[in-house]
Amino acid sequence: MATADVSVTDNRDTTTSSGYKSRKYILGVIVAALALVPVLQWQTTNNLNFWLNLLIIIFLWITMSTSWNIIGGYAGYISLGHNVFAAIGGYLAAMLLLRLDIPVFVTAPFAGLVAMVVGFVIGLITLRVRGPAFIISTIALVLVLRTIIDNWDFLGGVRGLTLPLIGLDVQLVKIPFYYAMLLVALLSIYFSYWIRHSKFGLGLRAISQDEIKAETAGIPTKMYKVLAYAASAFFIGVAGALWSQYVTFVDPGTYLIILFGARPVLMTLLGGKGTVAGPVVGAALVILATEFSESQFGGTELNVIGVGVVMIIVLLFFPDGLVGSLRRAGRLPALLDWD
Amino acid sequence: MSLLEIDGVVAGYGRGPDILRGVDLTVEEGEVQCIIGPNGAGKSTLLKTIAGLLRPRKGRVVFQGEVLNGLRPDQIIRRGIAFLPQERSLFPDMTVLENLRMGGYALEDKSLMSERIEEAFAQFPILKERYKQKARTLSGGQQQMLVMGRALVLRPHLVMLDEPSLGLAPQIVAQLFEIVRGFKDQGMTVLMVEQNARQGLNCADRGCVLDLGQRVFDGPADGILDDPRIQELYLGTQKKAETS
Repeated sequence: MATADVSVTDNRDTTTSSGYKSRKYILGVIVAALALVPVLQWQTTNNLNFWLNLLIIIFLWITMSTSWNIIGGYAGYISLGHNVFAAIGGYLAAMLLLRLDIPVFVTAPFAGLVAMVVGFVIGLITLRVRGPAFIISTIALVLVLRTIIDNWDFLGGVRGLTLPLIGLDVQLVKIPFYYAMLLVALLSIYFSYWIRHSKFGLGLRAISQDEIKAETAGIPTKMYKVLAYAASAFFIGVAGALWSQYVTFVDPGTYLIILFGARPVLMTLLGGKGTVAGPVVGAALVILATEFSESQFGGTELNVIGVGVVMIIVLLFFPDGLVGSLRRAGRLPALLDWD
Repeated sequence: MSLLEIDGVVAGYGRGPDILRGVDLTVEEGEVQCIIGPNGAGKSTLLKTIAGLLRPRKGRVVFQGEVLNGLRPDQIIRRGIAFLPQERSLFPDMTVLENLRMGGYALEDKSLMSERIEEAFAQFPILKERYKQKARTLSGGQQQMLVMGRALVLRPHLVMLDEPSLGLAPQIVAQLFEIVRGFKDQGMTVLMVEQNARQGLNCADRGCVLDLGQRVFDGPADGILDDPRIQELYLGTQKKAETS
């Protein structure tokens, strides 16, 4: 057991093993490698657009699940409707592009802010309840927004909005989206890490364990939950905005389906709820597994069943998710211990 | 002026009946006061009401001249009243260190918190040894030390303990009450509820008896149990309990 001097400001003082020292460099190398992937675009005879697309999808879902983890993991409030924030970001950026011709790369941060403000207001209302009632309120939110957009011709109604391609040739067209989505994913992970190590994050974790105790310890629980909800909306709004022009199309069926809202939950549970690395690992695994099974078995409903079966097995045998279970067993590689 | 004045407080849960039916109570600066009384007398309810977890339906809670009615628990702890609820106020899935930080959550000054945590470690070396362990893995006595450590980190003006001895081995209970006396030496005022009346009163300066939501007796802790009125009350209630 640790007998070394305890420095209270840093709770990771005894983890000075070589794994933890080299972790910074390994993660740096991974990020640098990801940043260099597009350069290979000109080194191969065929282009790498398939792989770039796959990575962009992974970055999108890392952002979704990492952000979701702030309210769902740290604070313990399960939301099945975080896709509304992606929809808000997507529609906002799409409208600004169509009406005012402002590129989504410019409007994306603004879309994030709007998603955050909307999240704050919604949180003030829905976070009055907890448990199943809260979960249902988040599903209701998706249905309400879907009904509104379906019937609002200004936003394209059920038919959706078609967006122009960005005017780049096939070798370049994915690259701006690749870097933008990579940046958003990295920032969202850093944001999540920062919250996890802040006093605010400690307060959120206290709320997830016992709200009454948290309150008596001096945490303004109501405000914390609303802030966490709003904070979890920001990067989802940004990613939703980028996604709209990437797929050159927004419609209620892209964003406002239950699967879109449930996916970050599944990914986070698979990777490890309430850990920083869990949602990242979970998102990458789910997307890779889906891609693999689609390429092997075709895009049938079989994939959905496959994902479901894996999910059930994980939840039954590793309820803490991969990162959580490995930590419990004392086998979490230092590379993934970001808490 | 007393540190805490409770003035005709009526309180209860939800839309349920009144549990406290007009309680008057004062806590003086620097004393250890022990509230005793039979089950269902409203002892825990009283502490919860002071801590802001329940709103008084009638009456006032006044702390250092300020009326606390209607404040949230997190606002009340910032005014210097800490409440350590029954059944350990710990977060079982957090580490010892994180629990101590939770204790000092209301402190704004980070370096002061670090200092106080070091002091808590100095008083309870076992906690320092296990600072990275989850609180749930500690023994009952160690968990209670952690609860006390949390109070030491915050150093509230008034600390309220709800049945601190619950579920502890007898020799640990004795240690516990020594720690409570230590709070007094460190300048804290203590208001505690104890089922274990004799030991609780031994540790206290003043005692107060609550029954059926009202204060029925108040006086120096010494010999409170020898008072014929209290004996009658306790025996009387016991008899009632047996026949029911």
